[in-house]
Amino acid sequence: MTVLGTGLVVWAMVLTFGLTDGLEHALRISGHPLDIIVLRKGATDETGSSITPQQAQELATLDGVARNANGEPMCSAEFVTILTKPRRNNGGTTNMIVRGVETIGRDLRPDFEIVQGRDLRPGLNEAITSASMASRFENLSLGEKLEINRVDFEIVGFFEAGGSAAESEVWTDIRDLASARRTPDAVTTVNLRVSDESAEQSLIATIQDDKQFNLKAIEETQYYEDQMTSAIAIKFVGYVIALFLTIGAMFAAANTMYAAVANRSREIGTLRALGFRRRSILFSFLFESVLICVLGGVLGCLATLPFNGLTTGTANWATFSEITFSFRFGPTVLMRGVLIALLTGLVGGLFPAIRAVRMQIVNSLREQ
Amino acid sequence: MSEPVVVIRDLHKEFRRDAIRIPVLSGMNLEMAEGDFLSLMGPSGSGKSTLLNLIAGLDKPTSGTVIVVGEDLSDLTEGELAQWRSRYIGFVFQLYNLIPVLTAYENVELPLTLTGLSRRERDQQVKTALDVVGLADRMDHFPRQLSGGQEQRVAIARAIATDPTLLVADEPTGDLDAQSAGEILDLMQRLNSEFGKTIIMVTHDPHAAERASRQLHLEKGVLVDDVSVTATNQEQP
Repeated sequence: MTVLGTGLVVWAMVLTFGLTDGLEHALRISGHPLDIIVLRKGATDETGSSITPQQAQELATLDGVARNANGEPMCSAEFVTILTKPRRNNGGTTNMIVRGVETIGRDLRPDFEIVQGRDLRPGLNEAITSASMASRFENLSLGEKLEINRVDFEIVGFFEAGGSAAESEVWTDIRDLASARRTPDAVTTVNLRVSDESAEQSLIATIQDDKQFNLKAIEETQYYEDQMTSAIAIKFVGYVIALFLTIGAMFAAANTMYAAVANRSREIGTLRALGFRRRSILFSFLFESVLICVLGGVLGCLATLPFNGLTTGTANWATFSEITFSFRFGPTVLMRGVLIALLTGLVGGLFPAIRAVRMQIVNSLREQ
Repeated sequence: MSEPVVVIRDLHKEFRRDAIRIPVLSGMNLEMAEGDFLSLMGPSGSGKSTLLNLIAGLDKPTSGTVIVVGEDLSDLTEGELAQWRSRYIGFVFQLYNLIPVLTAYENVELPLTLTGLSRRERDQQVKTALDVVGLADRMDHFPRQLSGGQEQRVAIARAIATDPTLLVADEPTGDLDAQSAGEILDLMQRLNSEFGKTIIMVTHDPHAAERASRQLHLEKGVLVDDVSVTATNQEQP
């Protein structure tokens, strides 16, 4: 029973840890250390920002902007809009991020790769997204059409971007999207990569200090870090639940060990009569308790493995849209689960073990 | 003449129940020579098990002196007592007290694990002890696979495995049928006569007590009778 109880607790906790770890990972890898996000001054996220195409072009010419293999500046003007779309399986509607990008935008995402179908062709109202988005939203499967302001965008491919936040988006060509939204030439964000770390701060300063620009530039890593509110919220709730579950499991372990001590009083008395010391008996009971709980913990961890990589989603409270991510049960998460089981065994077993060794030998020997 | 194995001087033991003090042993004096086989008789509550526990270092007296194998037990700490018991005392209990998850062999080996002997030496002593009690062929059996008499014989093997100076037996035949009880008493007598073990045995059974070379009777915590039995009496089965 204790093995099962501890296993369940560890299972639930590892799931929570895996969830927050996955979300944090998705947001963390979304930010490239050399990337800068440029928004209108006063905007807190991409959807509330607006930049003119001229400004975007000027940004590309600034010193310190990196260039790709073709010598093009790695500066991507993007148009981000939010649509409310139905989830699959009658899951109601939720916000979805649609991003209009230029070709260069792909170079600014980690490990961008088309994994199914093909990339979109500009001017043809085509769109690409990730397989996980397709599984969560209606009309996002290959060949299906996503309606944006009564204009249909055909899904022609699925991409991956290293598990980053880009995988929670639908991408189209920036001009096709702006035209469908009837806001021609609209740019919300400029995403650019600096040539090296030393150039980063000076470029940020150049953009911020230019009164004509009236723009703000933030490091991409910082931008995504600010969006981790939901991860922190889940983590907090997770830790509170974990705490209570662990306390519960400790009581279960203590109960089992108290019963073990009661059932084995005579054995304990015999061992002590034979000359075994109190501490040997204390350690043996603690060891037993820890063993039972760690066994449960390992089983609990194993039971989470089917969820590894499973995609789920949560609201991104910065953009009020859905962010999809995968459960991640790395060694740290699993180790944390086993550690909690170990702690459960130690604390749960401690008081019964102390009770076992505090009994008078003569009294223990009298027990039936 | 060699030093007595047990020397008891003006021994008092009382238990406390809340504010009430219950005297169990009152001013007892006793000496036990090496090679003695002593039986302790008396009605329930007469203090015989308490006396046994005090001699075996399982309990401490309220006052008085208990010197066993030359050691004044009241001078020893809890840890020192544990070590002392493992070295000098062999225990035989009424309900055998074997560890159910260990085989006969492992049960007998248990006290030897405290001695620092090598595995090979332990193996030799376990086998010798099981041989003495006639259960060498049952060494791989668990207690539940043995009869009561066999379990008690394994317990005796455990008690003698470390070659202790004194064997203490608390009602060793109390849970056995007449035949098994007889076999256990035969074995104990043999341990005493053949191997020279000093034995102190608590019993309710007068027939069992007769097997001892010396019979003590306790009543209300006081020694009322101390009879040395002739060798002829002991020989009877």
